[in-house]
Amino acid sequence: MKRIPKPVFFIVVLLIAAFAFTAFFGIKYYEGDIEKPVIKGLSDIRWGIDIRGGVEATFVPVVDETADTEAAKEDSTVDETDPDGGPTNEQLDSARSIIEVRMVANGITDYEIYVDYTNDRIIVRFPWRADESDFDPATAVKELAATAKLTFRAPDGTVVMDGSAVKKATAGADTSQGSSAEPMVYLDLNDEGAQIFAEVTQTYLNQQISIYMDDTLLSSPTVQSVITGGKATISGNFDWDSANKLATQINGGALPFALEAPTYSGISPTLGQNSLTAMGYAAIIAFAIIAVLMIIRYRVPGFIAVIALLGQMALSIAAVSGFFTVFNSFTMTLPGIAGLILSVGMGVDANIITAERIKEEFKTGKTIDSAIERGSKSSLSAIIDGNMTVVIVSIILLLVFGPSNILSMIFGESTTGTIYAFGYTLLMGVISNFIMGVLLSRVMLKSVAGIKFLRKKWLFGGAGK
Amino acid sequence: MKKDLNFIGKRKIFFGISLAIIAIGIICNLIFGTTLDIQFKGGTILTYSYEGEVDQEVLKDTIQKATPDSTVSFAMTHDMVNNIEAVSVQFPGDDNFSPEIQETITNNLKEQFPDNNFKTQESSTVEASMGIMFLLKCLTAVAIAAILMVIYVTIRFRRIGGLSAGMMALVALVHDVAMIYFMYVIFRMPIDSSFIAVILMIIGYSLNDTIVIYDRVREERRIAGKKADLADVFNHSASVVMPRTIMTSVTTLLAIGTVYVVATVFNLASVQAFALPMMIGIVSGCYSSLCIAGPLWVAWKKRGTKK
Repeated sequence: MKRIPKPVFFIVVLLIAAFAFTAFFGIKYYEGDIEKPVIKGLSDIRWGIDIRGGVEATFVPVVDETADTEAAKEDSTVDETDPDGGPTNEQLDSARSIIEVRMVANGITDYEIYVDYTNDRIIVRFPWRADESDFDPATAVKELAATAKLTFRAPDGTVVMDGSAVKKATAGADTSQGSSAEPMVYLDLNDEGAQIFAEVTQTYLNQQISIYMDDTLLSSPTVQSVITGGKATISGNFDWDSANKLATQINGGALPFALEAPTYSGISPTLGQNSLTAMGYAAIIAFAIIAVLMIIRYRVPGFIAVIALLGQMALSIAAVSGFFTVFNSFTMTLPGIAGLILSVGMGVDANIITAERIKEEFKTGKTIDSAIERGSKSSLSAIIDGNMTVVIVSIILLLVFGPSNILSMIFGESTTGTIYAFGYTLLMGVISNFIMGVLLSRVMLKSVAGIKFLRKKWLFGGAGK
Repeated sequence: MKKDLNFIGKRKIFFGISLAIIAIGIICNLIFGTTLDIQFKGGTILTYSYEGEVDQEVLKDTIQKATPDSTVSFAMTHDMVNNIEAVSVQFPGDDNFSPEIQETITNNLKEQFPDNNFKTQESSTVEASMGIMFLLKCLTAVAIAAILMVIYVTIRFRRIGGLSAGMMALVALVHDVAMIYFMYVIFRMPIDSSFIAVILMIIGYSLNDTIVIYDRVREERRIAGKKADLADVFNHSASVVMPRTIMTSVTTLLAIGTVYVVATVFNLASVQAFALPMMIGIVSGCYSSLCIAGPLWVAWKKRGTKK
């Protein structure tokens, strides 16, 4: 056997311990009273509505007699089927899908949305943000109900162009002024929009055009030249967050009618209060039981398996909490936890398969080195095949139920976050298992086998004396 | 040398047990029907507002008593603007709810909690948020995953006739899904989103279990040679893998069992309703790998030789 140097074991253990600590607890500092996470931990996970509760809101279209907008006129003529003169079912559906887009854009994958066609209502339930501290449903609801109508207004206040002219909005930085890159929102206009914009900039050359989002003035740039390229920018007092938010809002599109939420309320977790605490306790107790069983039955390999398992859990949690900045934090729901349980179970299984193989090798009279060598080698194919088949399942679930939505041409656009959450945690868990339960636990095992006072067959699962 | 356990010889007993459970499940299904939750079926949401503190469990019992024939689910809400407590009662389906039921509930609540000022806040009919399209989409996704899984097994286990091994692994999966489904039917639990979570997890668990045993068969077959009797090879493989099978099942069962016990201590019926079918699924997943997928596969491979 190619023996791995002894210190490697201690280095790996220390690294896993440090990683697990930061992944579970995160690193934060305080600026005054405001908590600033440097590395996100368990407490930064956005828990789903089933676990932590959230907001329930009933949206109804605003019946505003005075607002004589074009959309309202269209309503009254088209809507003959609906005697009470509310929005059409198609409009309700489009409002529903816009709300869905806004939810997903905000990282909320776990929500329930019901449309009540008879009463012209949309009922929405969604979880609290992870960093929610004041638990005020009002702001959360307001964000979703915003009409999000982008308008460009002439100096006299008439609307000259609106959000329907925009093909795509992106947040970017103005780099033309050197280092002081200020975030702004870039608009790509569609063909029609480009034409309108050219005319508008022609008419109002050297005058101010105001850009509004609903009733909020974003900026009032002075037109300096006729813009024919179909590109516009919105600058103003943006930071990256607000620029991104505005771009997402514009991309999400405007609602066909204004919505208001006459009733909204906080909602208790559907799993029952304390479910998060309960599952926390359950996780700790279950981990302790597994650790004891593994160490009693497999001794040194069992101990190493427990360390690897801790690493696997930390890595899976890190993939969910937003520890790695490339992955956004993720809404954890019951199916997400099921995916985590399954992947941890498979991690335990991988270590059990290896440890049992080592025991078998001892029975045929092998030395410690060759038992470990052969045991690790012969168990590998079972672990790889078992995990790969599960990876196939999780990838399909991610593709079908995630943003890529590969079956959308058959089943229409939809986002069902709960199943996506299962696929995501399972895939992350299995990848973590390959890194921790397969690769690192083997490294640790081969390294620890070199430590003299541990070199007894019994300690590695062989029969006594 | 320890004697190998005889899984193949007892296959008729195993198939019999599984078929019997499936038969009971089908009968129960015909009698009770399937209870779908509001996410799948649409239905009516009835909201009551109240003041002061109310024991949630007593509240649920009071409402449930008024609707003995239908399964309702609850959501407790708290209006932070007006500081009003509320409970939403969800009636899945069209036939579960009637104005009479609403009246009974209202009266019962007023009787049980005279001091809390229970009032009907709103009643609305809603469409299913996960309708029939969603179920079809789930089935399509599972079908695609199943086809890819069979292809993977066919390639990786070509030495032992991968295609049949893959197909039998699939049969084992269908078996486990059926077991969990019938468990929901027999105990009359509503099919909700936690059902989907349990099914997905058990598919993964059972698949892994079956593959681990196939892996050993692949290896033992190489050692024993082509002439060895497939039944003996399978029995031997399943027997040498047995310590692993027991250890993995025991640790997983204990872990989920802990969730169940803690949920009981915290009085979380919904988490219990999630942990219990999962435990059944783990037993079924382990059983189906050893007693269904393996024996079926051996019988399939030997179908030509026995005349």
